[in-house]
Amino acid sequence: MKPILLLQRLLHLIPVLFGVTVIVFLMMSLTPGDPAEIMLANQNASPEAVVSLRHDMGLDRTLSARFVSFATNAMVGDFGVSLFHRRPVAAVIAERLPATIELSIAALLLALLVAIPLGVVAAVHRGGVVDRLATVGALFGVSLPGFWFGILLLIGFAVQLRWLPVSGAIDFASQPPHVTGFLIIDSVISLRLDSLANTLAHLLLPAVTLGLPMAAILMRVTRASMLDVLRQDYIVFAEAKGLTRRRILALHALKNALLPTVTVAAIETGSLLGGNMVVETVFGWPGLGRLVVESIFVRNYPLVQAAVLLYAVTYVLVNFLADLLYTVLNPRVRM
Amino acid sequence: MRLKRLVIAAFAAAGLQLAEAQPAELRIGFTLDPLTLDPANHRSRETESVLRTMYNGLVAHDPAMKLVPEVIEGWSWIDPQTMDVKVRQGVTFHSGEPMTADDVVYTFTRILTDGAIGGQTSPRKSLLGPTKSVLRVDAATVRFLLSDPWPVLPAMLTFQEVVSKSFAEKAGAAGMATQENGTGPFKLVQWRRGDSLVLERFPAYFGGAPAIAEAGKACIDRVVIKIIPENASRVAALLAGDVDIVNELPAHDIRSVEANRNTKVMAVNGTRTFFVALNNTRKPFDDVRVRRAANHALNRQLIIDKLLNGRAERLNGVMSPAAFGFNPSLTEYTYDVKTAKALLTEAGYANGIDVTLDADGPQKETAEAIAALLTQAGIRTKVAVGEGSQVRAKWAPTSKREGDMWITSWGNGSLDPTDIFEPTLQTDGRGNSAFYSNTELDGLLAAGRRETDTAKRAALYQQAQAIVNRDAPWIFLWLPQDLYGVSARLTGWAPAASGWLNLRDACVQ
Amino acid sequence: MISRLLGLLPGWLARLAVLTILGFVVMAVFAPLIAPWDPSATDLFRRLQPPAWMPDGGWDYPLGCDALGRDILSRIIYGARVSIFTGIVVVSLATLVGVVAGLAAGYIRGPVDAAISFLVDVLLGFPYLIFAVGLMAMMGPGIANLVLALAYKEWIVPCRVVRGETLAARETEYVEAARALGASSATIMGREILPNILSPVIVVATVRIAQVIILEASLSFLGLGVQPPTPSWGSMVADGRAFILDAWWVSTFPGLAILLLVLAINVASQAVRDALDPHFHD
Repeated sequence: MKPILLLQRLLHLIPVLFGVTVIVFLMMSLTPGDPAEIMLANQNASPEAVVSLRHDMGLDRTLSARFVSFATNAMVGDFGVSLFHRRPVAAVIAERLPATIELSIAALLLALLVAIPLGVVAAVHRGGVVDRLATVGALFGVSLPGFWFGILLLIGFAVQLRWLPVSGAIDFASQPPHVTGFLIIDSVISLRLDSLANTLAHLLLPAVTLGLPMAAILMRVTRASMLDVLRQDYIVFAEAKGLTRRRILALHALKNALLPTVTVAAIETGSLLGGNMVVETVFGWPGLGRLVVESIFVRNYPLVQAAVLLYAVTYVLVNFLADLLYTVLNPRVRM
Repeated sequence: MRLKRLVIAAFAAAGLQLAEAQPAELRIGFTLDPLTLDPANHRSRETESVLRTMYNGLVAHDPAMKLVPEVIEGWSWIDPQTMDVKVRQGVTFHSGEPMTADDVVYTFTRILTDGAIGGQTSPRKSLLGPTKSVLRVDAATVRFLLSDPWPVLPAMLTFQEVVSKSFAEKAGAAGMATQENGTGPFKLVQWRRGDSLVLERFPAYFGGAPAIAEAGKACIDRVVIKIIPENASRVAALLAGDVDIVNELPAHDIRSVEANRNTKVMAVNGTRTFFVALNNTRKPFDDVRVRRAANHALNRQLIIDKLLNGRAERLNGVMSPAAFGFNPSLTEYTYDVKTAKALLTEAGYANGIDVTLDADGPQKETAEAIAALLTQAGIRTKVAVGEGSQVRAKWAPTSKREGDMWITSWGNGSLDPTDIFEPTLQTDGRGNSAFYSNTELDGLLAAGRRETDTAKRAALYQQAQAIVNRDAPWIFLWLPQDLYGVSARLTGWAPAASGWLNLRDACVQ
Repeated sequence: MISRLLGLLPGWLARLAVLTILGFVVMAVFAPLIAPWDPSATDLFRRLQPPAWMPDGGWDYPLGCDALGRDILSRIIYGARVSIFTGIVVVSLATLVGVVAGLAAGYIRGPVDAAISFLVDVLLGFPYLIFAVGLMAMMGPGIANLVLALAYKEWIVPCRVVRGETLAARETEYVEAARALGASSATIMGREILPNILSPVIVVATVRIAQVIILEASLSFLGLGVQPPTPSWGSMVADGRAFILDAWWVSTFPGLAILLLVLAINVASQAVRDALDPHFHD
């Protein structure tokens, strides 16, 4: 794959990021509601206090001044100060990011682990029991409202059965020593099985709630593309040559069948980032999604701007990685 | 085979840890993560509640909400614009340094000076009112200089906590936000953002306000504050035994918590007055008869019984029964639909009126209940739910004053009338959303602000309440209790109206 | 025979799905005639009354009552209006805009394509819910704003499909022929290309209706959306969230309604897709 095209793709990122920033800025500035007033609401503050807080927040500058200041600072990694935490935005986001990443990846892995084998089996034994069950299951998976399903899981497993914890990411007593900030990695690095078990117990319900719709979609995509591939001439040809079905599957079919799965997974990762918010709220997961929507409601502009930028970058990069993976899995495809 | 057993054992161990709690550990299920650990750089009640476990202030509240000195021995007014406080000796910061008058001066100067917190101004500056500056008089005395008389200064000092000068200067604004060095009974061990805080007992604690008797030997070594914003999850955690205290217990869950053998409900009278502001400057509520009709039309006790589980007190005015100068003999507007309709007819609205009730999200349910009841009496009410900031903007005294009714509240944490009466009912008060104006009332309030004789001051405010009761600028509602769910094994703890966690004497058996 | 045509999904299932959808539509249209009670009639004495088969329940309020004593069954029936209306209007609007944009981008190419593709890329960078929440914060609550907020991102879906199909279609012989005959771009797009790409567009649209219904419920769940007392399934689930521990019916039944309708739409659209799939009969 030519490096020039790689560079082109990466450079394409920049105007997109700029566009995202402009849109977020416009939206926030067109949104009625004043963060200073919100922060002092219900606290019996005087109008002078609100005015001085606004000034302290830098909100009495003109819109263009604020935009320029934001953009120029963002380029050097300074995303300003969170209006509510009164600490640098980058620090606030960095604190909450690992939890969201862990949850998203767990959901993604869960989805892939369930979807790919199911999709393959369903396609290979088309019309069989697994196929029917998987298809019905997939239909359910995309039809379940996540917020409702999550609450039901919580009540069922955490409250009634008491098999799993009610909320949070980990119990204090089980915390592994801090190395990366990612609980699973830290647990493994420090060989703490109890930490790992505790983290996984906390992670299970939110990851299932988040990953189920994705698993459903990916299963159908895998099944459909597997069916497609199995029909291809070169497969029939290989069969004629006498290769066992297993080898055919493993060598040829799977690699090609997974291409659309990879692509769709990348696209759906975008929805994972956004779907985090509801799941994080229901399960009390200390992640970024919940923080971002709360920030929208209190007009914490700098944090929302930085977070949206982060989402955009992540989304584009993940898609880019997916494209790369695409070429690795199928060398016939030219970039 | 061995590996398998190891794995099973690990899971079993983890499972045990999931269920058990260490005996000397207190776990709290709390609604919101603190925004920062810097006591001077936030305006959040929840942050203050958490910080007060690690920091002390000059004054505190005792369980009866009376003001008591904490890290000072007392205060005295030199003149109406000068107050001295005597700094207590023997108070130590968690880092080991003793607290001195310099730390007190530094704490308040930091709050009062613009840009003193890493370029930011403390958002708590306005809580110090007309305080101009704070000076050290000698090693044990600190002086507060005011630009205007302000008798409530001691009560307002409960909103500030003392920080260490040397620590703050070394750590800077960024450090103060993420590290703590207070004088309080507990010190911070770990803060997992959005998830939990872990505190450990500070053995060299000076003991707290002497006026608050200790309940016994301190038995909690560690406190884990878990952040569980979702109501159902928080209550579920309590019922499952994962936590020992939860705050903001929804009124609806009282039944399940009481029914559970291991948990019970604890309540304290709140300090937030709820009311429906009526637009006194526009039809139909510019007519006092219509306003009185609205008061008669609402069955407040039914709403309290059904929606708040009986956990609120009906009010006939603005002030809480625990507040200074409360008038207990105000006339009640009894629930009487016939009288309401008669008053409406008298005012010329024999066919009833059509009005809109504004509310923000959290008040939606109450607003709908109120609207339904009012409609039965001929006041056909539609509910309009909006975002908090938008609704508040619509009802600001500087707005176009186009609304009909707004269900809202005003807090009175200091339990002093100046904090609530003036903003909400004085002409052009910043919280006067009824746009009510009565010059006689204004006179009484101004006099009360300056009156130093307690008895005379109380009488002035009682008179003021009678006027408001008569004029009915609002539909008077209620004062809800603050509800907490606690484990039955918890002793030595009671909720405070201020929302502070007061964990010094708490014990879990 | 139908089951052979529809292959994997037994014919009875697909028929059931279509019937379910029709049932919900009828429910929505004739709500005032079907609902046993006024959905806004509050009665605090009936607060959180359990469903009929539980103690303290009654068959006059078969699914129980919500926090203000309103009949849940009636609110579900009326709630169908919001869900179906939102689903259809948002997707119709989005499809209209998306098809036009996609055609323009795919056929005219050049700067038009560059601009539209850039806009699509930028909008794709926003997570759906967060963008919608931001828009709702900007515009205020209410069903009209909800529809707009959802449509603003939804048009990308049909746009991308149409653009892809148009790119392929413009190279075909019949388009070449039309061009040679001197037909204008607009005519070609409208008369030659559009009819041939309608099939995937319709399939996508039917799937998206289901997703939009869930999105509307999610936004209502977050408190943005219809004003009280209009019932919306999503806001009913949200209202019942506080009581989930011991009055589970308040959230569960509206959630089931969402599940049922969305499932029916998905099954039906799956059946349609399977029927249209040329490979299906292999």
